[in-house]
Amino acid sequence: MEDSRSGNSSQRQKNTLIQVSDLSFAYTGEDGNPIPVLSHVNLTVREGEYIVILGHNGSGKSTLAKLLNLVVDDYTYAEGHIYMSGLGEEMRDILSEDMTEEDVLKLRRQVGMVFQNPDNQLVATIVEEDVAFGPENLGVPQAELRKRVDEALATVGMTEYAGHEPHRLSGGQKQRVAIAGIIAMKPRCMIFDESTAMLDPLGRREVIGTMEKLNREEGITVLSITHYMDEAARADRVVVLSDGEIILDGTPGEVFAEGEVLRKAGLDLPQCTAAAQYLQNRGVRLEGSLNDPESCAEAILKAWNMRNTNTQPGVR
Amino acid sequence: MDPAQIVNRVPEGEVPKLRLEHITYRYSIGTPFEKRALDDVSLDIRRGRVTGLIGHTGSGKSTLVQLLNGLSKPETGRVLLDGEDIWREPKEIGKIRFRVGLVMQYPEYQLFEETVRADIAFGPKNMKLSDEEIKTRVSEAAAFAGVAEELLDKSPFDLSGGQKRRVAIAGVMAMRPEVLVLDEPAAGLDPQGRHAIFTGIREYNRLTGSTVLIVSHSMEDMAQYCDDVVVMSHAKILMAGTRDQVFARAEELEAVGLDIPLITRMTLLLIRGGMPLPSGIYTLEAAEEALSVAFGLPPVPPDKEDEGKGGTRSW
Repeated sequence: MEDSRSGNSSQRQKNTLIQVSDLSFAYTGEDGNPIPVLSHVNLTVREGEYIVILGHNGSGKSTLAKLLNLVVDDYTYAEGHIYMSGLGEEMRDILSEDMTEEDVLKLRRQVGMVFQNPDNQLVATIVEEDVAFGPENLGVPQAELRKRVDEALATVGMTEYAGHEPHRLSGGQKQRVAIAGIIAMKPRCMIFDESTAMLDPLGRREVIGTMEKLNREEGITVLSITHYMDEAARADRVVVLSDGEIILDGTPGEVFAEGEVLRKAGLDLPQCTAAAQYLQNRGVRLEGSLNDPESCAEAILKAWNMRNTNTQPGVR
Repeated sequence: MDPAQIVNRVPEGEVPKLRLEHITYRYSIGTPFEKRALDDVSLDIRRGRVTGLIGHTGSGKSTLVQLLNGLSKPETGRVLLDGEDIWREPKEIGKIRFRVGLVMQYPEYQLFEETVRADIAFGPKNMKLSDEEIKTRVSEAAAFAGVAEELLDKSPFDLSGGQKRRVAIAGVMAMRPEVLVLDEPAAGLDPQGRHAIFTGIREYNRLTGSTVLIVSHSMEDMAQYCDDVVVMSHAKILMAGTRDQVFARAEELEAVGLDIPLITRMTLLLIRGGMPLPSGIYTLEAAEEALSVAFGLPPVPPDKEDEGKGGTRSW
């Protein structure tokens, strides 16, 4: 798929943050041969966007995320470019040989990552020490450090737990502490690699709420990797990966309209959207977005009321 | 005990596979962290059916599950398996664990043998079955859990997360437990992976006649794959019964903050908006049918069925 979005940038007002260009990647198998994971991926991420990346297990979505932060182990079979802004005057290809260790640290400071397992990400025995860990390593002075930790905990709604032991927290609370630890380093972009997969519904809601807040109020660019379609429904933009290729890239409405493509990629439409599309396929005209139960119900009710007024003028 | 106090009680004349009688369980007794995990819970799990157990974290689900195979002992009350108290002979509790097989959350972290085959055979070996029997059990369980034949001689550590999960489930199925209990068996898997796991579990239930209990956060999965549903809240059973009975009370479920299926939420909104739909719709198929009737659409002729259903199927 061509990267159409970056081509006609005239109507695009926001700055490009990351530009993935013709990226292919393979892991080295036991026998030394490449095991392909990503194939000719093109993706442009603009500052302030909220992008959900969907894909089945093994579609390559986690590898893509890890490449953006240079946390894969082996670059033998990495081809193409990942241009990143903020690492110098111009966009910088982070896969190029001239990336120094210092550049890599700078990259990781501006692109923070939250992983899946809430139990593997916390290092300290007290919540606020955990949040301070990252910025302290960056050499943030004490007074500034205090301020950042307090702000970060407030942002994720965990202030009252500052003195708690992380192991007594719920999964959702642990993930929010992990997020606080990253925002205390003031990143421009945050990548969530299935950060809600191990949480219960309440924990998921907490973490998704935090992600949306970071995006809307703090202006942090969010890339969220998931296979929950209801999370995708709330994004600005949805990118679908299947077998290492980007097969769809658009608004949630545009992507959900491709029900058959999604199904083939091992994904499901939200049930409400599927039901609404069923009505459309049977000739019922529905207007507006059909991404969540609320919008689907609104559209269906409107059509139903209209139909009743039209076909039964005498009744009521 | 008075049978009327039992939730999800079996019909007259049927002995429940599992019965919990007045179970109470507390953690960290006598410390400031004391917590009542189960509060006078009485419940039947019906023989040969797939029952879903749902509730928030901390609602008591996991505690309940650990009581069923004797991993924990109730403070008060009894657990009856085929009508017999599992703690009648405390020294024999190990045998109960072969009869009630438990697949823990994220069981893939507990694989340890050199090959997939050896890992699946671990349980049957402990049961001191013959080599021949172990072999049969391993291939049978691998088939139920969806572990491909060619994976059997690989190291479990070379498999993907989803494959490892299936190996771990096969390991418990290979003991052919009369009751198979699974704690979040599909957590973290994509829709296809979830479907594959649940279909395998249903097959195991259908072909072996064993009783299955699935603990899950996903109402959508429960609606799809379970016969009966038990909802826990604050250490008590909030409601229980067939899935029709439980989802007919969808508004109550929503009121306690549980994530009801998106299709149920949509149909509740439509009903509130005045559309004449039956309450408690929890599958896409039922929704499509009810919407067709409400819109006065003619029934889809069987040969045209595929055209009408252009949208993506929910598994």
